[in-house]
Amino acid sequence: MPAQIDIQEVHWLLDIVQCIDVGVIVLNRQYQVEVWNSFMENHSGMGPDEVHGKTLFSLFNEIDEAWLRRKVDTVVALGTRAFSLWEQHPYLMHFKNYQPITGQEDFMYQNVTLLPLGGATGAVEHICVVIYDMTAAATHKKQLQAAQANH
Amino acid sequence: MIPLVVCDDSNMARKQLIRALPAEWQVTITQATNGQEALAALRQGLGQVMLLDLTMPVLDGYETLAAMRAEGLACKVVVVSGDVQDEAVRRVKELGALAFIKKPADPEILRSTLLELGLFDPKAAPTTPATPAQSSVLDDLKVNFRDALREVTNVAMGRAAALLAKVLGVFVQLPVPQVNIFEVSELHMTLTDAMRGERMSAVCQGFIGDGIAGEALLLFHDSEVADMAKLLGWQPKDDNETSEMLLDMSSIITGACLAGIAEQIDVRFSQGHPQLLGQHASIERLIHLNQRRWRKTLAIEVSYSLEAHSIHFDLLLLFTEDSIKRLTHKLNYLMG
Repeated sequence: MPAQIDIQEVHWLLDIVQCIDVGVIVLNRQYQVEVWNSFMENHSGMGPDEVHGKTLFSLFNEIDEAWLRRKVDTVVALGTRAFSLWEQHPYLMHFKNYQPITGQEDFMYQNVTLLPLGGATGAVEHICVVIYDMTAAATHKKQLQAAQANH
Repeated sequence: MIPLVVCDDSNMARKQLIRALPAEWQVTITQATNGQEALAALRQGLGQVMLLDLTMPVLDGYETLAAMRAEGLACKVVVVSGDVQDEAVRRVKELGALAFIKKPADPEILRSTLLELGLFDPKAAPTTPATPAQSSVLDDLKVNFRDALREVTNVAMGRAAALLAKVLGVFVQLPVPQVNIFEVSELHMTLTDAMRGERMSAVCQGFIGDGIAGEALLLFHDSEVADMAKLLGWQPKDDNETSEMLLDMSSIITGACLAGIAEQIDVRFSQGHPQLLGQHASIERLIHLNQRRWRKTLAIEVSYSLEAHSIHFDLLLLFTEDSIKRLTHKLNYLMG
């Protein structure tokens, strides 16, 4: 990334965040949505206008609130990243598999990274949630395990 | 001239510290590489003031302060340490230290601390701040790569320990980190030896930045995992939940340690997703070293243990052979 970003490049960066094939959400400390990229919009079926200012828990009942709060609390208190892996926690939000023909799974397996975002004071005021689609890896691993079990 | 003792096991740390002293401060410097040497210097009357590290072999900073008190050795001590746990600060003050400065010592903070304590009076200093004694001391101090990397790690792991102490509400004991360059096959043997057939779980995370790449491995002893859960106030119901707990712990320790190193050598690391290498397995089963691609590796080993609990974590930072050159370059910059 360039040290100085001009206004043209800000547009590009926004475009990139929009189009990239990972989910990007920015939450404030009250878990209200402030940024919601196209990946999130397309997989959830909810646009940025619908979700803006609403808490993540009110949008997705399936989120394990105690689990997420515990992770986020550490990120805020310590300023370190936190991770979740599909092997332990298959998904944060339940997205239907969007490959109806070739897809073998019912839902999208997800890896999640939680990043602390510092404010002007240096304290963590926002959390960035990054969601990776791990469905292909999960399918392969399960097929491999099934094959090994049959031998 | 004020007799000053600078006590730190690392040549680089002493060099950084001596360089950070106010230039016009009139001192005669005696160096000590551990508490025992420092005490010997004090007994000879070579220390009216002492700058003291905490994490050292032979006799550490806490033990040194305790010994000074027992012997009635009068010396004004400022602790300069990478161990920045609140409890560490409290303990050294209780043992008689006048102030605590975190490593690497900032010249401005050092100056203002010495001023506040009345140990340094710029008005009394001569107008020409020529201190040939200080610069000759600096020239004589040779810092090698391993020493520099050990010191950088020392500061980084101190920060990780402070976070760990905050989360777990315990005091974390910090040993001097080990820095070694291994043949990959040797590394395997060393690990197998150290773990003596214990059942382990391991979390691994890759990092890369500015031509420096490697993997961070955090090893947990299975026999201690239940105690750790208790300390965290978790009741893991199954292996899955235990894995999550290990993953969260490793994100904190690895993340803070890497961030500490990155900041000091001025790089930014990208971190991959962590990977659980396995649970309840022997070390041979956990770590399949790629001996075809990696011949040598630079390994930093840090063992954290929690005071009053039998819980240890072993953090291994393994750098690729290619990274060594780049890392040397970065450290040379630091050593100046």
